[in-house]
Amino acid sequence: MSQSPHDDGRLHLDTGLMRESLVSEKLGRRTHSDQVRRMVPDVNMIAVGGRSIMDRGAAAILPLVDEIVECKADHRMIVGVGGGTRARHTQQIGLDLGLPNGGLARIVGGSEEQNRDILQFLLAPNGGIVFIKDEIQNLQLQLNDGMIPVTIGQPPYHCWEPPPSEGVLPENGPDVGLFLMAEVFGARSVTYVRDVDGVLDGDVSSGAELETIPRISARELLERGLPGLPVERELLRTLDRARSVNAVRVINGLVPGQLRAALAGEDVGTLIHNDRYTQESAA
Amino acid sequence: MTERVQWLKSQAETPAPTGPGAIDDPLALRRKFPPVRMLPNTWVLKIGGQSIMDRGRDAVQPILEQLIEARRRGINFILGVGGGTRARHVYSLGLDLDLPTAVLARLGAAVPVQNARMLHMLLAEHGGIMCYVDHFELLPMFLNAGSIPIVPGMPTFEYWEKSPETGRIPPHRTDAGVYLLGEFLGARGVLFIKDEDGLYTDDPKKNPDAEFVPEITAGELLASGQDELIVERVVLEYMQRAAQVREIRFINGLKDGAVLDALEGGTGGSVIRAD
Repeated sequence: MSQSPHDDGRLHLDTGLMRESLVSEKLGRRTHSDQVRRMVPDVNMIAVGGRSIMDRGAAAILPLVDEIVECKADHRMIVGVGGGTRARHTQQIGLDLGLPNGGLARIVGGSEEQNRDILQFLLAPNGGIVFIKDEIQNLQLQLNDGMIPVTIGQPPYHCWEPPPSEGVLPENGPDVGLFLMAEVFGARSVTYVRDVDGVLDGDVSSGAELETIPRISARELLERGLPGLPVERELLRTLDRARSVNAVRVINGLVPGQLRAALAGEDVGTLIHNDRYTQESAA
Repeated sequence: MTERVQWLKSQAETPAPTGPGAIDDPLALRRKFPPVRMLPNTWVLKIGGQSIMDRGRDAVQPILEQLIEARRRGINFILGVGGGTRARHVYSLGLDLDLPTAVLARLGAAVPVQNARMLHMLLAEHGGIMCYVDHFELLPMFLNAGSIPIVPGMPTFEYWEKSPETGRIPPHRTDAGVYLLGEFLGARGVLFIKDEDGLYTDDPKKNPDAEFVPEITAGELLASGQDELIVERVVLEYMQRAAQVREIRFINGLKDGAVLDALEGGTGGSVIRAD
C-alpha cells in the first residue's frame, strides 16, 4: 500500500477506490456482491410488537415471556421491542407541535426503552439483560453466557432520519431497526411477534374473516398495498435489498407454540421473502 | 396447559386496545403545522475530505482563516467535514473481505471523526468545539457564545446502514450527514466546500471538456444519467421531499475569499435546487 505523489495536490492512498467517485453507479456494479460475511449467524431475532403485544399487558406478555424462556434451551436469541401506543402518541403530539422529521425520530425511542426495560425485568431471572447499540460487538459474549439480550428497535438515525418517501412520519421504525441489526449479524431467523396470524389477505379493519397469506415476496406485498399491514412498509423495501437475511416471519404471539414452531423452521404465520430467498430454496 | 391455552385463546379474541394509538390524519397535521426551523440563521457547511482535507495545509489554512473572519463578523455556522482517501482505503479493504455495507459504514465513520478533531485543534483558539450527536441540544449555547461547532459528517447509521440496490458502498456518507443535519435544524443553507468551481457536466479532473453548470434542479441532475455526480445520490433524492432545505450550494474552497463570500450570501459556485 503506497502513498501516491502529490500529482494533483491531494495526498492519496493507493487503493482500488483511489480518486474514484463513490457515487458512481459503475463503481457500484463493480463492487457488487450478493454474498456478504455473517457476524453472529446462529442468533435468532425475536421482534416483539409494541402495540400488538406490549400494549395488551400481562395477558399477552407473560405467556410470551415464558415461551421465550422455554426456547432458550434450543436457540440463541436476541429480543427486540417497539414502542407501541406511547410511541404513536409521541409522534402525534410532535406533529401537532410542528417538530421536524428528524425530531420525531429522535423522541420515539424513549417509549421503546420503557418496553425494553419491562421485558428485561421479566426475563431477568432467566438471563434477560439490556442490550444497547454500543454492545453490538459483544453479542457473542452475552449469548455464550446464556443471556437473553433485550434491545429497542428504533434504528439510531436520530436527527438524520431521511424525509419519508410516503406520508409525513419517519419511515424507519423498530421493525426496520431490528431487521437491520439481524442483517448485520447475518441472523438465522427474524420473527415478528404480533397479535394476528400473519399477514392477512384483505383489510384488517373491515372485520371480515380473512385468510392468512402463508408466503409472499416483499415486493409483491408492497405492490398489493394491503391496509393495516402488521409490519412497516419500509421493512419490505429494506428486506428487498438485504444480502444476509432473505426472509422474515410474522406470527401470532397470542397463540402458544407459534414462536417455538417458527424457531424450529415450521410453516406458521406468514413468510415474507426477497428474490435471493427464492433462489436459495430452489437451489 | 389446556386451561392456559383456553385462556390465551380468549385473550387472542380481545381486540387491540384503542385510544390515541393511531395518528389522526398525520398529513393534515403536517400541512397545518409545518416543521419549526430550529436554527434558521445558522449555516451548515461541509469541508470536503478528499477535495480539501487531503490537500493539507495549503488548502485547509486559507479556508479556516475565512471561517474565523466570518465568525468574527457574527455569522453563525456549524462546520461538518468529510472523510476522503482514508475512507476509500478502508472501504476497499472491507469490499475485498466481503464485509456487509453496515460494517463499511461503521468503518467509514471513523475517518470524518479524525478530520473533525484536526479542525478542532486548529480552531480551538477561535472557539472550535467538537460536537457529537448527544451535544446537538447544546448547539444554541455554542452559537450564542460565538463558538464554531464542528461535527463529523457521517450520520450515526453505522451498523444500521442499509445495503444500496447495487454495490456495497454505504449510500449515506458525509454529504448525506451534513445535508440531513441542515434539514433537521432548518438551517439558513447548506454549503459544500470542494476543490472545483462547482458542478460540471462530467468530472473536470478526468474530462477537460466538461462544462460548468451554475444551476440545476435535483431532478434534472438525477435524470441526466451523469455517473460521477458531485454529491451523494441520496441527497438529491431527499432534497426532493425535504420540508426545509430545498437547495444546496457548492463552492471552490481553493479560490481566495469564496467561502467568506458564500457565507455573506454570495451566489458563487453552483446551486442544486429541489424541483
